[in-house]
Amino acid sequence: MTGMERLAALMKGRTPDRVPLIVNLLDQGATELGVSLREYYARGDLVAEGQLRLREKYGYDGLLGMFYAGLDAEIMGCHTILYADDGPPNVGHLVIRTPEDILKLQLPDDLHCHPRFHELATCIGILKQESAGRWPVLGVMTASFSLPAMLMGIGAWLDLFLTGDPGLRNLLLEKCSQFCSRQIVALREAGADLVIYANPVASATFIMPQKFRDLALPWVIKDLEGPGATGVVFFNGGGRINPILADLKKNTGIGAYYLNPFDDIAEARQILGHEALIVGAINDIKLINWTPAEIDQEVARIMRVGKQQGGFAFGTQVMPLQIPEENIRALVEAAIKHGRYATDAL
Amino acid sequence: MTDNIAQLTLEVYIKALFDTDKPAALQVVQNALDRGVTPEKIVFEVIIPGMERMIGGMVSDSLVTLSQHFLAAQIAEEVVDRLLPMFAVVPEIRGHVIIGTSYGDFHGLGKKIVSGCLRARMFEVTDLGINVAPERFVDEAVAVGADVIAISSMMVHTATGERGAKRVRQLLQERGLEEKLRIIVGGAPYRFHDNMFREVGADAWADSAAEAPEVVSRLVQEVRTS
Repeated sequence: MTGMERLAALMKGRTPDRVPLIVNLLDQGATELGVSLREYYARGDLVAEGQLRLREKYGYDGLLGMFYAGLDAEIMGCHTILYADDGPPNVGHLVIRTPEDILKLQLPDDLHCHPRFHELATCIGILKQESAGRWPVLGVMTASFSLPAMLMGIGAWLDLFLTGDPGLRNLLLEKCSQFCSRQIVALREAGADLVIYANPVASATFIMPQKFRDLALPWVIKDLEGPGATGVVFFNGGGRINPILADLKKNTGIGAYYLNPFDDIAEARQILGHEALIVGAINDIKLINWTPAEIDQEVARIMRVGKQQGGFAFGTQVMPLQIPEENIRALVEAAIKHGRYATDAL
Repeated sequence: MTDNIAQLTLEVYIKALFDTDKPAALQVVQNALDRGVTPEKIVFEVIIPGMERMIGGMVSDSLVTLSQHFLAAQIAEEVVDRLLPMFAVVPEIRGHVIIGTSYGDFHGLGKKIVSGCLRARMFEVTDLGINVAPERFVDEAVAVGADVIAISSMMVHTATGERGAKRVRQLLQERGLEEKLRIIVGGAPYRFHDNMFREVGADAWADSAAEAPEVVSRLVQEVRTS
């Protein structure tokens, strides 16, 4: 089976040959091509080439059409991205520094006309073409409720949505939500089969479930109102999401949830019922130092819980560049070994 | 009488923190002042216990969130700054901490929370902001006579990279400052990986902002008795 066939089987409520495996390697693509991160992310065709090589090398089930999180801020006006040699590029300029900046904030009407989105769309287009329907292409975006953290800094965003002017907050969220809706459409147009919708600030690590209901959930609903929730995967973004799953399930139409390593998979299944697709994630920072035996043990544990009720994929967070190659191989080998379903289940 | 008021104030104050309701929390403090509770009692029996119970996760069995941590530390810092000049006796400063995020790291939330906790616990804090070069950590620490350098990192590469705590350690060695300054680190990568603080050359790490004052206090003692 291909990755796409495995995913399609899950979507139809069938059991694939094994648990689909999503490994989020990003900066590692530059290493594969022997170029700097700055050169790599300047061109969508290079990122596509890096992604294709990484998938071929390790043998996991998806292709990641993403550069770095700060790209969303770039499209919204951030003019400085800071590159490191050994980690993801960072936002180096805050678009919003004063309330007036919120009033002045402009969205691109057509994302495809923005040079940076154009490169991303080029990357996704190549991945889609080269995949030839074998591997799902994943587009990634930041939800409207989390995007302001990259535009104004997380402290200022917390200040605004917890204690600031509600009118200003809503104006900013309205603009961010318009951007998100357009981005979902544009990612699909570019060729993304799934859209990973990252919403860390809405997670239970940042805000209480009641605040989520009052402040964040309406904007999740709004982001998806136009483009629809088909193929959208709610991604934890680094925060726990089990406490908000029931509200998301009830109100958004999202059918797939990418848990945090600290979310309990069995609990998530109980909350979501049998229909939702759950991605259980490994704590990939541990992969930097774990031995292959330790990796095998942890993968086996996650698979044991995840496979019990089906509708399950195995995933990573965003794998740090510091994870040794042999540990990435050990992860994939363990996931394939422990992710197999019994043949008579097929 | 004011003991009871302080206790009641603490309960109402914690409720406001739990609800991330800053105006309500500040109003609780003002009401206590208006009813004759001393600034010292408010700081030591309301603000600090409130902050520590909230940030230490002792308020509820459910998860206490970063927004509650953020607000508890922010209010604590603001109220302590406001009430300190009103103390009958100026409290002793327990140590001086230089704080910032590591070079290349633009995530300032954890640092803000820790900074608020330390200030409320009577440490002097010099906040160098985000994206701080290792040389600047050391230069500023020497310039202000700090005891501890606190380095916050949100990403693995900024925690473990050659321009983070590792380089600060090297600089302390090169300049013969290891007896005079201690390094504490914190942030998400350290929570995912038990031994990382040692690998980057730090003397200690704090799992949460609530733990930071105690750990920093120990480091200050080490420096001052060495």
